[in-house]
Amino acid sequence: MAKRLKVANPARCIGCYSCMMACARTWYDTISLKNSRIDIQTKGGIETPYAQIVCHACIDPPCMRACPLGALTKRKGGGVNLNEEICDGCGNCIEACIMGAIHLDAEKKAVICKHCGVCPKFCPHDVLEMIEVEDSGEIKVTDTGPVEDTNPVSPTASHKELYGEKESGEEK
Amino acid sequence: MTTEQYAIPGLTNVLYIDLTSQSYHIEERPDLYEKYLGGIGIATNLMLEEYKEGTGPLDPEMPLILSTGPLSGVYPTCTKTVALFRSPLNGELGESYAGGHLAMSMRYSGYETIVIKGASRYPVYVAVHDDKVTFRDASSIWHLSSAIDVGKILREVEPGAGRRSIIRIGPAGEKGITYASVNVDTYRHFGRLGLGTVFGAKKLKALLISGNREIKSPEHKAYRKTVSMLYDTIVKTGLTEKYHNLGTSENILVLNELKGLPTRNLQEASFEGAETISGEVFADKYLIRRVSCAGCPIGCVHIAMLKRQFSKAHEYETLNISYDFELIYALGSNLGVADPEAVLELIDACEKAGVDIISMGVVLAWATEMQQRGKISTQETIGLKLSWGDKASYLRAIELVVQAPNEFYTALGKGVDYASKKYGGEEFAVQLGGLEIPGYHTGLGNTLGLSVSSRHSHLDNAGYAADQAAFNRPIPDEKIVEYIIEEEDRRSVLNCMVACLFARNVYTYENIILALKSIGIERTEEELKELGKDIFRKKHELKKKFGFRFENLTLPKRFFETASTTGMLEEERVRKAIEMYREKRGV
Ligand code: SF4
Ligand code: SF4
Ligand code: SF4
Ligand code: SF4
Repeated sequence: MAKRLKVANPARCIGCYSCMMACARTWYDTISLKNSRIDIQTKGGIETPYAQIVCHACIDPPCMRACPLGALTKRKGGGVNLNEEICDGCGNCIEACIMGAIHLDAEKKAVICKHCGVCPKFCPHDVLEMIEVEDSGEIKVTDTGPVEDTNPVSPTASHKELYGEKESGEEK
Repeated sequence: MTTEQYAIPGLTNVLYIDLTSQSYHIEERPDLYEKYLGGIGIATNLMLEEYKEGTGPLDPEMPLILSTGPLSGVYPTCTKTVALFRSPLNGELGESYAGGHLAMSMRYSGYETIVIKGASRYPVYVAVHDDKVTFRDASSIWHLSSAIDVGKILREVEPGAGRRSIIRIGPAGEKGITYASVNVDTYRHFGRLGLGTVFGAKKLKALLISGNREIKSPEHKAYRKTVSMLYDTIVKTGLTEKYHNLGTSENILVLNELKGLPTRNLQEASFEGAETISGEVFADKYLIRRVSCAGCPIGCVHIAMLKRQFSKAHEYETLNISYDFELIYALGSNLGVADPEAVLELIDACEKAGVDIISMGVVLAWATEMQQRGKISTQETIGLKLSWGDKASYLRAIELVVQAPNEFYTALGKGVDYASKKYGGEEFAVQLGGLEIPGYHTGLGNTLGLSVSSRHSHLDNAGYAADQAAFNRPIPDEKIVEYIIEEEDRRSVLNCMVACLFARNVYTYENIILALKSIGIERTEEELKELGKDIFRKKHELKKKFGFRFENLTLPKRFFETASTTGMLEEERVRKAIEMYREKRGV
């Protein structure tokens, strides 16, 4: 079953950078914000809400079309897979992605979200989620049954009750 | 341990900035980092090296030191930076901690420690972008009426958005109010003891640091495992629940119930208006979001939104204001203010001015009592009549303290100890060690703790927590003294890392050892405990040089006139406990 990362509740972000640190240390052996595939941005310092910039898992990815070498191919569930061997750092994909979700690393290779699912495990505020999608990347519509009022989860639940049960953040 | 074996990446240098000559240089100091790791350990030793006997707090040669630690920018909730200076408020050790983005920015810029000396002839701000240090004329932002606005302007002129920290002063720092604060990224502060005044004397309006370098662990796998464990402990256990939830302001009702909440200049220890300024009320009615320091998944910074009407034609302005327990005590219960919106407005006024809110609250409470007792008149206050709960006159008073139009307000701007020595009322000037007290009147542990703490802060030894325990089950005084000593040493170690104290129960000795090991630093529990003791001795040495003597500690009568959580306290008992502390400490 295909999955993709979704910025589900952007307004809940506390700007802790846990997601960026997690992405960077998982995919680059680094302790930094460098080369994180997701970027937490502030527009007016922390007085204004945070923006989470990350690949949107396009169904028909413009970055792929823009790549002259064919280094980007369609990913199951939306977005792209990068063949680092082929990528020569031309930067055309950066131009094509109006989300601003791509940058180059020190080796001049494109850095694009792999929708790997690590960062949501380190988001303490339900901003980031992995959602199930069709292989094409289309949103999956399933038979839901009756809908419960789930928002807010429980105004009296403690943080521990809300998050304590969740799957551990241990990385793959 | 030799340098080669010492595998901390980074953690070797000190950046020296000289404002007089607008120059800088870097010194390699692996010796210091090897022994003291970082934070308060490094800062204390550098201060001992730098301090020349007789240098006043605001003299240009007096250094100010900022230091992060080995865990900064590396592990969750290790987000603090320590500032060490000589306090213009009490002449003693100035030590203050702030969060925000500063620690992460410093660490990723490659400068773990910064020493700032000298003074500029005209206002400047300093920008550090990775290894580049630039000095820029700040005359155009000097005299701005709000410390918040300084950030708004610098964000536009300097690069590094999202990876930087901007620390700056407001009018209080420029004007030499001795308890001026330094605003860190809008919602955090170097609050206590007057770092803002030191900035002002150096004509340093702001310091901006951005960094985007990387650190590497020699054992990346172990590092990843340890981060996951610590993250889970912080987010998924109940250990930091209080800060995830109502935040520190949860304590308003708790302390009120315990009769330990200073009210109306500590004439009482519980407040009839506590219900309306409780953490619960702020959360229900005003809390709009929480934010975090960079690298902390707790998000304890509570932001309230205040909608304020300014004309009959339904015109409104909205203010976003961060609040905390200490602020609600200082500008709420201690001033008899029971209206939560008034508390928010008073907080906002202090934020813009850039003053330490606890000190300002205590100063105004003292002035109110002075006026009520007829010891000062409207002559001194230039017509202002101060009375409990009166927001409008307190707002005006804050302005006047910062503008210092006459001798009286100038004295208020030098703290309650100074003002009461000049105008009388020392018995009810609620300070210990020359520092206005935080919001606890819980008994021996608190009063002793504030007296002996190297920076006269409850954050050094949590004396109030000993009292809370004693409230449930009586504890012998000696045990309280021992608790305070142990807590001081443990917190000194945390302050080397530099972890946020809200995560103190996450960063146990065991977890600190593991966290260090996972980035290649070997330490045993004995070594860490010895480090804590060593730092105590070094800090005490420094305090003695600054003129501190236990013999000179004054204990204002007010502490013994108002019943505390654990009942009436006697001066004799506190004095005895201080002696016990000194004996056990060997000082
Ligand atoms: S990187 Fe940008 S263009 Fe490419 S798939 Fe993701 S969002 Fe679409
Ligand atoms: S899903 Fe994976 S690759 Fe994408 S931002 Fe999160 S951690 Fe990085
Ligand atoms: S981990 Fe979640 S809350 Fe923290 S910065 Fe990332 S998106 Fe925001
Ligand atoms: S608990 Fe609060 S002060 Fe401490 S690091 Fe986290 S956000 Fe900052």
